[in-house]
Amino acid sequence: MINIRDKGASIWENWNRTKRVTFVLILIAALALLPYAGTFPLTSFLNTPITSYQAVLVYPIAMFVLMALGLNIVVGKSGLLDLGYVAFFAIGAYTMGILGTTTHMNTWEILPFGIGFAMLAGLILGLPALRLRGDYLAIVTLGFGEIVRIIALNLTQTGGPNGVVGIPNPPPIFGQKFELNDHAGYFWIILTMILLVIWMVRRFTIRRPGRAWEAIRQDEDVAALMGVNLLVYKLWSFSIGAAIGGGAGVIYASKVMFIAPDMFTFNVSVLILACVVFGGMGNMWGVILGASILAYLPERIRFISNSRQLVFGLVLLVIMNVRPDGLLPRKKREKIKHKEVK
Amino acid sequence: MSEKILELKNLTMRFGGVTALDTVNLAVNKGEICALIGPNGAGKTTVFNVITGVYQATAGEIIFEGKNILGMKRHHITKIGMARTFQNVRLWGEMTALENVITATDVHKQSGLPGALLGLPRSRREEKRDHIRAQELLDFMGIGHRADQLGKNLPYGDQRRLEIARAMGTSPRLLLLDEPAAGFNPAEKVELATLIKKIRDAGYTVLLIEHDMSLIMGISDRVAVLDFGIKIADDLPGKVQNDPKVIEAYLGVPADAS
Repeated sequence: MINIRDKGASIWENWNRTKRVTFVLILIAALALLPYAGTFPLTSFLNTPITSYQAVLVYPIAMFVLMALGLNIVVGKSGLLDLGYVAFFAIGAYTMGILGTTTHMNTWEILPFGIGFAMLAGLILGLPALRLRGDYLAIVTLGFGEIVRIIALNLTQTGGPNGVVGIPNPPPIFGQKFELNDHAGYFWIILTMILLVIWMVRRFTIRRPGRAWEAIRQDEDVAALMGVNLLVYKLWSFSIGAAIGGGAGVIYASKVMFIAPDMFTFNVSVLILACVVFGGMGNMWGVILGASILAYLPERIRFISNSRQLVFGLVLLVIMNVRPDGLLPRKKREKIKHKEVK
Repeated sequence: MSEKILELKNLTMRFGGVTALDTVNLAVNKGEICALIGPNGAGKTTVFNVITGVYQATAGEIIFEGKNILGMKRHHITKIGMARTFQNVRLWGEMTALENVITATDVHKQSGLPGALLGLPRSRREEKRDHIRAQELLDFMGIGHRADQLGKNLPYGDQRRLEIARAMGTSPRLLLLDEPAAGFNPAEKVELATLIKKIRDAGYTVLLIEHDMSLIMGISDRVAVLDFGIKIADDLPGKVQNDPKVIEAYLGVPADAS
């Protein structure tokens, strides 16, 4: 089978700077136009039945891509199995919900708080949990995900099972208004966050943190013996992943205006993890592709209603059998260009 | 007398009821090649594991450059100047040879994750510096041409060499080599012996575990022998070779002597 990832990478490597910049700009422009793809005849096949295409594009697609990228840092890059990723999403969403309804802060002012709280939660959970490895870590994070949901369910401040209602939409920026039924603006915001995360991960990958994570993933005992401070780099990985989840939560809450504990179940964690595994653990582009497909597919085939989940499961099963390492697995190439030396 | 770089004092390691190391005393002098030999199960690798912090010694002291390092974290021990290789090669197989070594050099970088994210000048400078250094180490070990190949795709001998290069990447003053010649043919062993001498002459102190007697006798400045966790000899190679206790440990006691 042709290795799409390597092929793409080698084309990219042979390009000069101008070609690369042009390509990236065209790609970003094309992505930014995605909300209108449903109206062009050529791309109208993307339209989803029953639900609005633009709404699907924001949630689940863009949101899943963002969260899967965050989880990929933890699971794919550093090899730490996190089954409670939804907790950070919930913390971001509840930060937005509570601060948005009780204070005069707007979404953009709350965003740093949501990210900060999620990161803090990541640190608090990670400090004891990251001393465990493999399956034990997975169990602890799973528990954490449930604990956050159950706390939200029982606390009066979070509205208990009724959740938080009347969360304000974000105020306009650069003339772009944000309303409940205008999805394009939200898409652009999430797209911006996705691009930021991509930029960040690319920086990490070729430098010290990326190498430390890779070493930990492959053999953490050797990593420690070669001087990698395991706890520090695991905590970084964990809290950066958490921060991205928190950021996604803030935007989500501010868009749907209403949140309740049953939006943050274990299912979400599993689905995001499925996106990462399906796309190709550790490879950002694979994860983006995987998350897009897994988020889009159930909406696209909504017309078959009841057997929808069955088909979805079947697709997962078939793909994972044909490509066990995911759609676009992590690099298997020999050659790596280090731009630091040039 | 030459200066001691590492000193083990009454080092004892017990696993439940088994005493793997029994009050072992050993000193490694600066700039020498010291060999640690002994029959299978004598506790040689346990010595390495205790020194590098993999196991916590039950009793005793480990003095490295005048400092007791017992109880120190593994990465910290590496940082203060000791690095090891493994009996079974343990590379990061999905990293290139160069990346393997650069990852080891990271231990002395001042800049961490924020520097990498923001592309701060210090981070860039250090990345560039260690990139060059890693390539130099690969060249030193004679595997410079393998720099861009994945660790797992390297031939066995080069994997062993890469492991030594990686350990040297942490800029250690004491290098611990755990059976570096395991699985080598005689010609490769000779080559390795030259390489280890070259490493010593480059200013490193080497403590090495080995089975191959001819290799040991050819390059070691001193040989210590372990048997069932007890040090039974510690002398110049020529003297150890003829020590009756050592011969007994390796070959057993003649039947009529018992």
